[in-house]
Amino acid sequence: MKLPVICPEGECCCGNKGCAPGKGLPKVVLIGNPNVGKSSLFNALSGSYTLVSNYPGTSVEISRGKTRIREREYEVIDTPGMYSLLPVSEEERVSQLLVFEEEPLVYLHVLDARNLRRMLSFTLQLLEAGLPLILVLNMMDEAEERGIEIDIPELSRILGIPVIGTVSSEGKGVEDLKTAISEYNSEYYALSIKKFQKLDYGIETEPYIEAVESLLGHAKETGISKRAISLLLLQEDRTALEYLPGAEKSPEYGRAGNGKNYEEILKLIEEASKLSAVPLSYFFTLKRQESVNGIVEQVMEIPERMERENRVRAAVTLTGKGSWKKGHSACTGQEKVKPEKETKHAGPGKKKRTQQRNIDFSEKIDNILIHPVLGIPVLFLVLYFGLYQFVGVFAAGTVVDLLENTVFGEYINPLVTSLFESFVPYPALQDLFVGEYGIFTQAVTYAIALILPIVGAFFLVFSIIEDTGYLPRLSLLLDSMFKKIGLSGRAVIPMVLGFGCSTMATMVTRTLETKRERLIANVLLALAIPCSAQLGIILSILSGNPKALPIWAGVIVLEFILIGYLASRILPGEAPTFILEMPPLRRPKLSNILVKTYSRMHWYFLEVLPLFVVASILIWIGRLTGIFDLALKVMEYPTVWIGLPPNAADVFLFGFFRRDFGAAGLYGMYDSGLLTGLQLVVAAVTLTLFMPCIAQFMMTVKERGLKTALVISGFIFPFAFLTGFIVNTLLTALGVSL
Amino acid sequence: MLMESSHLALKTTTLCAMEPRKTGKISHLETKNPGILQKLVSMGILPGMPVTLLRRSPSYLFEVDQTRYAVDREIANHIYVSY
Ligand SMILES: Nc1nc2c(ncn2[C@@H]2O[C@H](COP(=O)(O)OP(=O)(O)OP(=O)(O)O)[C@@H](O)[C@H]2O)c(=O)[nH]1
Ligand SMILES: [Mg+2]
Repeated sequence: MKLPVICPEGECCCGNKGCAPGKGLPKVVLIGNPNVGKSSLFNALSGSYTLVSNYPGTSVEISRGKTRIREREYEVIDTPGMYSLLPVSEEERVSQLLVFEEEPLVYLHVLDARNLRRMLSFTLQLLEAGLPLILVLNMMDEAEERGIEIDIPELSRILGIPVIGTVSSEGKGVEDLKTAISEYNSEYYALSIKKFQKLDYGIETEPYIEAVESLLGHAKETGISKRAISLLLLQEDRTALEYLPGAEKSPEYGRAGNGKNYEEILKLIEEASKLSAVPLSYFFTLKRQESVNGIVEQVMEIPERMERENRVRAAVTLTGKGSWKKGHSACTGQEKVKPEKETKHAGPGKKKRTQQRNIDFSEKIDNILIHPVLGIPVLFLVLYFGLYQFVGVFAAGTVVDLLENTVFGEYINPLVTSLFESFVPYPALQDLFVGEYGIFTQAVTYAIALILPIVGAFFLVFSIIEDTGYLPRLSLLLDSMFKKIGLSGRAVIPMVLGFGCSTMATMVTRTLETKRERLIANVLLALAIPCSAQLGIILSILSGNPKALPIWAGVIVLEFILIGYLASRILPGEAPTFILEMPPLRRPKLSNILVKTYSRMHWYFLEVLPLFVVASILIWIGRLTGIFDLALKVMEYPTVWIGLPPNAADVFLFGFFRRDFGAAGLYGMYDSGLLTGLQLVVAAVTLTLFMPCIAQFMMTVKERGLKTALVISGFIFPFAFLTGFIVNTLLTALGVSL
Repeated sequence: MLMESSHLALKTTTLCAMEPRKTGKISHLETKNPGILQKLVSMGILPGMPVTLLRRSPSYLFEVDQTRYAVDREIANHIYVSY
């Protein structure tokens, strides 16, 4: 059933062709700095789910959802975090483009209340751009925990826009926010924010700003004010330049006379930047910060560290002076008040003391996590318990064994097979559905009994790690090592994400600053990072043998370092630099972990199952026509070359479809005891390095272009086998017995 | 500038050379690379802000106002502090 779309007056698209639900509804766009809780607010508002994790740069794409407030529907849009309207990295540009192109009902500028001083500058920039705005002070709980006080009504009065405090991870304040959205009246607020639409940047630069602005007469309509565009132009912003008429190098534009304006603007930009002693973006930011400081002084109180601790102590000893707001309106009778008062007063004191203890405790943990010496063993502990024991031994070993061999192998598959065979007497069809490579006996069994438990376990561990904020700490810990392979510590995050799914991680490389870094990261993701299902299977296969796992891991790590090192040597460009905001450690929320794990499993399953089924069908066709055997014959050459039996060729053939499908094939061979210990290691190494899957290839094409993607794959295929060959030769020559 | 520093006996050094756990103020940023400068200021690492160095290794970790940042040596060398 299709729900009727409720269209607000004037914006209705009903009756028009192409009227999709959500489209044409008034838009509410969430924007703000990275890691302030935009996506968690999006989830709370829209009831959809987009990933929420404790590190900057979680969202690298725009998400759209719908919400209904007081019988009216809205489209809610979540954006990647951005530090200012002038983007530095690619995912920020995604958001900037959205601001240029959309004309929403209202923007919600989400910021971290504790960092009001830093983030209010962006609010002023948005006001300057003439955007309809509601300011959301999120993470009020953390601000309160640190004794920070913010006068929200006063801030609202000064800025002339609605300001709402929220704790989006707990849904607090979301109702107030909804009310503010539904009551938002842009005309009313347009009057009151006038004063911030024209911040004064001083007599030296103002003439330039105005001159550029006046030349923008024929500029394409964008969502933001001409003055803001002019400011962006003076800071030499790429997007703003592209929006200028005449920027399209079409001769028509030139003839129409707009080209002249374009030239003139370029001249002004050059002149202004020559005149200024410092880069204009720096100058403008400093000027804006001056205004911000003026505002923040009036509305925000931050206790000094020492003072905070004293205050906590005072609150604990002088229970009579605790601040308490809630509950006192309920006090009625005298007798009843007294005991209640005491408990009420003890409450905040205790609360403050535990708050302080929590802060101190997380500080201690933090110090261990990023300690140059202690940090490394902690990392190994996380890998050993989280990855090896839980994913490799428990999920990929015990659980898979139970599901694959007992549940499916002994009960479900024989039953389905015999049923199918008695109803469908055609051997060819039997083969398609319940044969050796059948849709049910192979594709569905692999997907449910093998891939799903491994991927589920992995994503569970992963979600916990993500939500604590361990990943940025890992970045800090590994930065100097990553520099040797041409990457900054920032790249640790996409690399680790690659263990979940390289396809998603390929997209997250957007957060890296230089093209060179993004390219190296893409190559390494395609080559050396196994995805979760593959990794789980390999861990489980090799876990029976104490020497096999370290050899496999050693080869892969060496490969990772070697290729990274070579790439950083060969590719031109500057060495990367490392700047990363370090979010506080946070206690993971069970609900988010579960939803996140579920949504990733769901996504993975839907992604994997059709491909497995298609593979089964292709293999079936291939076997009927003889192409499959021909392909196997061809694949046998490299397979035998690296010391594997010829029938291992189908593992690699599967690997062309998906990495995890190949790994599943390997698991099948291992299960039937067809490979020796040495052969298992060689096969595991080759398969880990082997082709990225189709989905990852497509993503690399999208992010880097077809040519680069082809070059990467063309390099990886022979290279994987070469490494397999070397490992096999070396281990045989050394007489290593596995 | 000169008066101020002699009067208050302020030391100005790069963040790299700052003593850990001392609190100072960012005095200025110095870099030839406009990209880095823009990144720093947009992230809120601005002159006049209070700054505390927390750690030098494995990378530099410091606190400006209410936020912590991790940077490498190269970047830390562009940030000047006085305390
Ligand atoms: N204590 C507290 N934590 C919050 C709050 N809102 C969000 N968080 C946590 O902050 C982290 C970041 O939240 P996200 O919603 O992913 O932030 P984002 O703004 O979408 O981040 P990017 O996508 O990286 O720009 C997560 O760990 C959330 O659980 C809040 O109000 N209080
Ligand atoms: Mg997000």
